[in-house]
Amino acid sequence: MNANGSLMHKLALQGVSRRSFLKYCATLATLMALPPTAGRAMAEALAQARRPSVIWLPFQECTGCTESITRSHSPSIESMIFDTISLDYQETLMAAAGHQAEEVLHKVVEENAGKFILIIDGSVATGLDGAYSCIAGRSNLDLLREVGPKAAAIVAVGSCAAYGGIPKAKPNPTGAVAISDIIRDKPIVNIPGCPPIPVVMTAVLAHFVTFGKLPELDRLGRPRAFYGETIHDRCYRRPFYDQGKFAKTFDDAGARQGWCLFELGCKGPVTYNACAHVKWNAQTSFPIESGHGCIGCSEPDFWDAGGFYKALSMPADPLKFVAGAAVAGAAVGVAVSIANRARKGAARAAHETATLADLEK
Amino acid sequence: MSASLEKGINVLKEVIDAPIASFFASCVHCGLCAEACLFYTESGDPKFTPIHKLEPLRRVYTQEYTLLGRLQKWLGLSKPLTDEELEEWRVLVYDSCTMCGRCSLVCPVGNDIVYMIRKLREGMAVSGHAPPGVIGATKRTVEIGSPMGVRWPAVAAQIKHIEAETGLTVPVDQEGAEYMILLSSMEIINFPEYLSAIAKIMKQAGKTWTLCSDAFEATNSGIQIGVSDIARVIVSRIVNGAERLKVKTVISPECGHAYMALRWEGPNLIGRPYNFDVLHILEVLDQFREQGLLKTEGFEETRLTFHDPCQIVRRGGVIEPQRNLLKMVAKDFVEMSDPGKYNWCCGGGGGVSANEDAEALRLVAFKRKKAQLEATGAKTLVTACANCRIVLEEGLEHYQMDMPVVGLTELLAEHLVETEKPAAQGG
Repeated sequence: MNANGSLMHKLALQGVSRRSFLKYCATLATLMALPPTAGRAMAEALAQARRPSVIWLPFQECTGCTESITRSHSPSIESMIFDTISLDYQETLMAAAGHQAEEVLHKVVEENAGKFILIIDGSVATGLDGAYSCIAGRSNLDLLREVGPKAAAIVAVGSCAAYGGIPKAKPNPTGAVAISDIIRDKPIVNIPGCPPIPVVMTAVLAHFVTFGKLPELDRLGRPRAFYGETIHDRCYRRPFYDQGKFAKTFDDAGARQGWCLFELGCKGPVTYNACAHVKWNAQTSFPIESGHGCIGCSEPDFWDAGGFYKALSMPADPLKFVAGAAVAGAAVGVAVSIANRARKGAARAAHETATLADLEK
Repeated sequence: MSASLEKGINVLKEVIDAPIASFFASCVHCGLCAEACLFYTESGDPKFTPIHKLEPLRRVYTQEYTLLGRLQKWLGLSKPLTDEELEEWRVLVYDSCTMCGRCSLVCPVGNDIVYMIRKLREGMAVSGHAPPGVIGATKRTVEIGSPMGVRWPAVAAQIKHIEAETGLTVPVDQEGAEYMILLSSMEIINFPEYLSAIAKIMKQAGKTWTLCSDAFEATNSGIQIGVSDIARVIVSRIVNGAERLKVKTVISPECGHAYMALRWEGPNLIGRPYNFDVLHILEVLDQFREQGLLKTEGFEETRLTFHDPCQIVRRGGVIEPQRNLLKMVAKDFVEMSDPGKYNWCCGGGGGVSANEDAEALRLVAFKRKKAQLEATGAKTLVTACANCRIVLEEGLEHYQMDMPVVGLTELLAEHLVETEKPAAQGG
């Protein structure tokens, strides 16, 4: 899958004009909060520079991340870029198989040691020495330990690679861990999501190709440009939340009017991702727009974070109890007042007019 | 003798009312009242923090009238009041509180601390924890008619003396007079100039006035000791006397607590409004001044300052009259620091001057007044309360300060225009 000819040529063959490509690069730059000039720099770098070799290793995964990037909206520029960059090993996409494929892998790793980008989707099984997930007779763990240290940088694609994901969900039978739990001395970008947004993956690659370094990351190793805000903060249903208008079921009047899905278990308020503004399927929509709450798939251990339909917390409805509290408070007040009046009355009844004799014992 | 702890606690249960409940509930323990109390500022002892002086009352309030307090009392977590504690608190409730009300004034949440001290004294008194000096004064007031043991014959003798000296008549038991004059026993014994001054001023103003032979004493030890039943007996004498003589206005003499007792507490004690007015002599004199009935000549040349009596100024609201009057006769009148409603107490109000046990503490507290006076550079101190006057004189003597103390009324009388003396206006 070595790239022959320029990227522009390849794209042109796919019906993508230079103008569309420039727009795409400008979009990438904008999404990553880079200055406008970065778009042109990106376009030039992507179109001309010698592109680094990319190796994509699949571990304990479902191929959903690959599906996301290749089938998001066909033919996509994302998939074109992946077709066109020097993607030297990708099990799902490559034609080679068996010993030949493995030979290519090892050859590329040796030839490009310290220079290639390693993309990994899927978590690493550590149980039984990694025997739960093997490729060509070698465990993922073993392979990662060999290939990982030779990469220039690692891109952990999907929640499994980034945090362990669904394989790590309780009771975690395979002893699944994140890439960052095994490799600690290489720059790692986590692009969580189940699956992640395609443009986020390409943006990170474009950034690396253009600037020779990884974009700015947050404390969980995620590109800040895409994971800097919560779904909730950018959600178009946010005004309903602010007004206290919540759908109670998926088919009630509130749901039909597009009210907030918080009470139906939406994890938007605690999920950092770009779905709400970048959207999916060629900017068509995102889960909440389709009427379902966010499940928080780009957050660590999202599978074990309570039920998908359980609200993060039930918003207190102060007015619901106010009448009861007022009645109870008033009742207690009246009772205490009656008791106190009785006591004071008794004290008054017991009062003997004080005389001089009462001043001394 | 029949004082008992049981009676005391019963009375406290009786006097605790909605204001007290809200005061205790709203106290934020800021301690600002400490800085307002001269017993704290001059001694530096935190036990003199005004709100702390109310601890026994707070205990009874929480134990009797709050759910939590009753629960604690029931579980034994909150101990009932004991005689020993009340005895310990006597110094705080009587010796170190002149009921000057400065703490109430500064309280940021508006707690009327002096109101609560007054109520706590009710319980302290009938449980036998009032100071012997104040008990003695109260007994003399009830049995003899005045806290200093002065009877009418002593007043009559003073009247004779004044009439001889001034050539004026001092009317006694004159029905239908406009003003009824009250005296404090301090004035009868120590400062007869007051009655003489009144005679001259009334003469000049052309007003009818009288003394009442069975209600001449203005002071009310019942309020100082804190027994409403006794205070009611004492104030009733004045009310009965004034109503018998059908006077329009009863004039409280130069005495702070007498004014407070008669004007503010009196109607509440007897449970009905008076059918006469009560004014302080300063208010009456200021009215005369406004109406042009008070004519003076000449000025005091020396530097004067004025000590504002707490009950008249802070708790009575009489602030401007004394200043208007002083300006008529003084060329060099200077204010003390914190004049008017923020003035510092002489240290002897609220029964403290009658309480021998409190004397040492009172002299410590006087350091505040001493410093205030020294800062003014005044040669003469004027005031309008016979009790303040005697306490100030004692304090000045103790600290060897040579400064005469005079009453404002007599100072004015000294400057009355003599030409209007002829008996043309009758009387």
